[in-house]
Amino acid sequence: MGLEPNLERLTQLEGIGCARKRREDPRFIQGRGTYVDDVKMPGMCFGAMVRSPYASARIRKIDASRALALPGVIAVITAEELKPFKLHWMPTLAGDVQAVLADGRVSFQNQEVAFVIAENRYIAADGADLVEVEYEELPAVVDPRKALEPDAPVVREDLAGKTDGAHGARRHHNHIFTWEVGDKDKTARAFEQAEVTVTQDMLYPRVHPCPLETCGCVASFDKVKGDLTVYITSQAPHVVRTVVGLLSSVPESKIRIISPDIGGGFGNKVGVYPGYVCAIASSIVLGRPVKWIESRSENLTTTAFARDYWMTGELAATRDGVIKALRVKVVADHGAFDACADPSKWPAGMFHVCTGSYAIPNAFVSVDGVYTNKFPGGVAYRCSFRVTEAVYLIERMIDVLAQKLGMDKAEIRLRNFIRKEQFPYQTPLGLEYDSGNYETALRKVMDAVDYAGLRAEQAARRADPGAEWLMGIGVTTFTEIVGAGPSKMCDILGVGMFDSCEIRVHPDGSAIARMGTITQGQGHQTTYAQIIASEAGIPASVIQVEEGDTATAPYGLGTYGSRSTPVGGAATARCARKIREKARLIAAHLLEVSPDDLEFDLDRFVVKGAPGQAKTMKEIAWAAYNNVPSGLEMGLEAVDYYDPPNFTFPFGAYLCVLDINRYTGETKVRRFYALDDCGTRINPMIIEGQIHGGLTEGFAVAMGQQLPYDEQGNVLGGTLLDYFVPTAVETPVWETDYTVTPSPHHPIGAKGVAESPHVGSIPCFSSAVTDAFAHLGVTHMDMPHNAYRIWRQSHALGLDRR
Amino acid sequence: MKFSVEKTFPMPGSSEAAWALLQNVEDVAGCMPGATITERVDDSHYKGTVSVKLGPASLVFKGDIEVAGIDAATRTLHLVGKGADATGTSGASMDLLASVQSGDSPASCQLVGKSDVSVSGKAATFGGRMMGSVTEQILQQFARNFAAEVARQAPAAPAQEAGEKPAPPPAKGRELNAFALFWAVVRDWFRHLFGRRGSA
Amino acid sequence: MAKKTVVSFRLNGVETDVMVEPRELLIHALREQCVHTGPHIGCDTSHCGACTVDFNGKSVKSCTVLTVQAEGAEIITIEGMAQGGELHALQEGFMQEHALQCGFCTPGMITRAYRLLKENPSPTDEEVRYWMAGNLCRCTGYQNIVKAVQYAARKLRGEAVETSHPLLEEAGKPSEPVTA
Repeated sequence: MGLEPNLERLTQLEGIGCARKRREDPRFIQGRGTYVDDVKMPGMCFGAMVRSPYASARIRKIDASRALALPGVIAVITAEELKPFKLHWMPTLAGDVQAVLADGRVSFQNQEVAFVIAENRYIAADGADLVEVEYEELPAVVDPRKALEPDAPVVREDLAGKTDGAHGARRHHNHIFTWEVGDKDKTARAFEQAEVTVTQDMLYPRVHPCPLETCGCVASFDKVKGDLTVYITSQAPHVVRTVVGLLSSVPESKIRIISPDIGGGFGNKVGVYPGYVCAIASSIVLGRPVKWIESRSENLTTTAFARDYWMTGELAATRDGVIKALRVKVVADHGAFDACADPSKWPAGMFHVCTGSYAIPNAFVSVDGVYTNKFPGGVAYRCSFRVTEAVYLIERMIDVLAQKLGMDKAEIRLRNFIRKEQFPYQTPLGLEYDSGNYETALRKVMDAVDYAGLRAEQAARRADPGAEWLMGIGVTTFTEIVGAGPSKMCDILGVGMFDSCEIRVHPDGSAIARMGTITQGQGHQTTYAQIIASEAGIPASVIQVEEGDTATAPYGLGTYGSRSTPVGGAATARCARKIREKARLIAAHLLEVSPDDLEFDLDRFVVKGAPGQAKTMKEIAWAAYNNVPSGLEMGLEAVDYYDPPNFTFPFGAYLCVLDINRYTGETKVRRFYALDDCGTRINPMIIEGQIHGGLTEGFAVAMGQQLPYDEQGNVLGGTLLDYFVPTAVETPVWETDYTVTPSPHHPIGAKGVAESPHVGSIPCFSSAVTDAFAHLGVTHMDMPHNAYRIWRQSHALGLDRR
Repeated sequence: MKFSVEKTFPMPGSSEAAWALLQNVEDVAGCMPGATITERVDDSHYKGTVSVKLGPASLVFKGDIEVAGIDAATRTLHLVGKGADATGTSGASMDLLASVQSGDSPASCQLVGKSDVSVSGKAATFGGRMMGSVTEQILQQFARNFAAEVARQAPAAPAQEAGEKPAPPPAKGRELNAFALFWAVVRDWFRHLFGRRGSA
Repeated sequence: MAKKTVVSFRLNGVETDVMVEPRELLIHALREQCVHTGPHIGCDTSHCGACTVDFNGKSVKSCTVLTVQAEGAEIITIEGMAQGGELHALQEGFMQEHALQCGFCTPGMITRAYRLLKENPSPTDEEVRYWMAGNLCRCTGYQNIVKAVQYAARKLRGEAVETSHPLLEEAGKPSEPVTA
């Protein structure tokens, strides 16, 4: 085989490793995408939500008469109207229940109280303003630590007397669960015997994924056929179908859920929200299509926050910096309903990846889930379940320890890394890391940025009392856990977290492939085709990838937690191999040789030792529909449901250099160098794009995002006026790099990438900001690192005095 | 959103006149910009409305006012108010202790107000950061109206404080003038920014 | 409900009449009556720029304009960018430089960049960032958007253009370490 024809055929194939331009782009650059709010149906009406101004209140009376008198208002539904259908409460993914419309009582500000359906969106909004609700305000609790005090206000009166939750015993009226993992006693002994210990409290504030498109749906129930069709902004349409089936008692075969183009998800679109249920219920009752689209402030204050973890970390180590044990205590604020989007058995998600990239022999973690009068959620904002919190904790703790020991923070990492030859590595918290090469990654970054040079510059800066700008260097070396997950460990509502692919090769050699995942900008229609191209020899340009329509796609658990490539991509590769192996049988029949005598070469089967004798996949596809060996079914189709044997563990080494103005708190990110290792790389262009995006969202979280509450439970900052979304001006320029350490258990060795940059960059910013003040004894600064908060630190140290 | 305001306003009339006015809840409400008493339930319970016009939005707060105590010895009035706007998007409650203290001369006195205010809903979410200044403006308008009312009810009172002209009698139940309010808030904010406090 | 009035404007070169209530926002008239769903709604406070259209030679966030204000206006949306079956240089640039992911902000971004390049055919990267600061993107981190605008600027100036993402890594380029 010569190089020339290979290159040409490789180019035609556009398989794994190619920077293939995106298949999605032509429609988006011409304004021809179809997002949920673009869907228009005959007779469609609009829904608007009436929401509670109070964080905690009893509802005395709801008077909809003025709203109903408004021409164009069709109906107003409240919990009373939903009760006959048993739809006024719904199950959450975390084993709790959530009020669809408030049942006599509200427990968070902006909670859904009534749903107004009208002929258009203006009248619906007018109608919502005319619904008069009488409340009796009750005391609220917003601090999760205060929520566990004996006389704290009761967040959930409906749970009175319920001492058992979905994850074990409840010990207090606002307590949801206590989740413990690791060896408590052994860890305690390690701490007792330790030469050095450090402790640090840190708050990971409540933030919101804030995709540019808010949540919404169009529900259409055909009363004659009994069919329900729902266009919905969902990252998991098949799960939505199952939930809707459970709630509505319409059989799943009569329900079609379609996730059309999705304007970003980042975890926000995993859950099932009251607005969806109201739109669906109204459509079933009215027999007309009902559209509900969230406003931005509704999005930021009611559908799915992330984080809100109040953490205390402790490390035990030797005097020369070898870590002996990690202990973590978390109070997790889950808001008023436990609607946390985690696999059922993991109330704190994959938080137990918190031993990070380090060979820590002992560890113990305890997480208390708590109710407060804040909106429900607890989704993974561009990360796998609670991984961002875990990585933040360990990366901050390593820095704190380095500082206590007077060691360099790169040096202490190099000293404690799990070594390349230790993989697969069993962590003390029960995970098995598949592969990694942490030292190579960190050293590559240190060389690229001249780490020693930067430290020398910083030392000079620190020595200069007149320096206006403080210099901070942040380092993180993180390990992610993605690709949930093995069904023996992971399920959602009892459904194992497999994923799926179905491929049909048409007689002309083109193909359609459908998956159980759903793209929200990740470029699945481009990259899945590349996997099939490489595995089955069909050019990506003739492969149509479709996702998101439950009527056509095989059942899958959707796209979140970087699971598309590790799970959906694996199903796709295996499905394509099934196609290839059937094609081999047909090729052998056509060439009159044994299948074992054939070799697969990019896009064809070649007889071993006779390169002239070959059948291309195009020829084989045609034969599949007219000339197959006896005993073989006709056609060329395959389906694969992939239940991964393990998670995948992408990793990276990040370095940030920033300068802080000691008088104003202004921060300038001078350099951000991100090296990611996501195993086999499918499309370098898309990977780079995912990393830029993840870093930018990490920058947003670290430097400005927060959803603060006042004592009465008023959410402050529920608009883009207050909630920080960086523009092109603030966003730093990113430098990216990579190493390749394939996953040994994944069919093509890929690990997933989109979330690593978010997970890894946030502690890197905190590390750099803290580092700017580290020589003055500062060990940690809580996020967000906005100018005011940084200035306060500078002020506290007297640095802002001229 | 919870905050406390404590204010002292000099009054032109005698403390007796001011105290007499203070005990009349309907007249006191009349001094509050945008407020009206709509119903007297009994001696200590009233129903009222406060309308606020902010640009195109017109909020009408309906609420209950309770006279929680009148202490003639200390000339202190304790009012508790609670209300919500008709559309249910905002709620507010206030606990007010107002007292009349004697001034520098028998013909003048001071009105001392101490109030805990709690605001919920959209008003808190979107207006939170302006709340302090807005309240201060409302109170200053109130004090001017109150002073004018004291002067009106006790016309024999001697001259005003230098530089202070008597405000015209309050037009009861008028809406809060959002533009004037906004301007006053901005002005105060700038004053605050440059460290020069205006006299109360 | 207030009485409806007829408003006439030119939308992507086509004379268009709509019947609206005085309070109806331009974005709703464009999306729902004119079925131009390219411009999107991403916020309530005119921060995100997803609804950006070109309005009498200025970039305008159509969620802050009443339709009645558009009487006699010349409006260009993303749907009017491609001419004669040819993509606009910006559309090509966005695709070649991978300047979009979920695509929700893209119509507004391209429409804004269209105005930028009309006013400043040779912007610096910093100028591009400054000009595009009224348009939010949650996916790309803006870096490739800057590249895409520069790609288009070069093409519109008649210079040669090339994607920064060649399909195959160049032969002979040292490969990154594989560390299995």
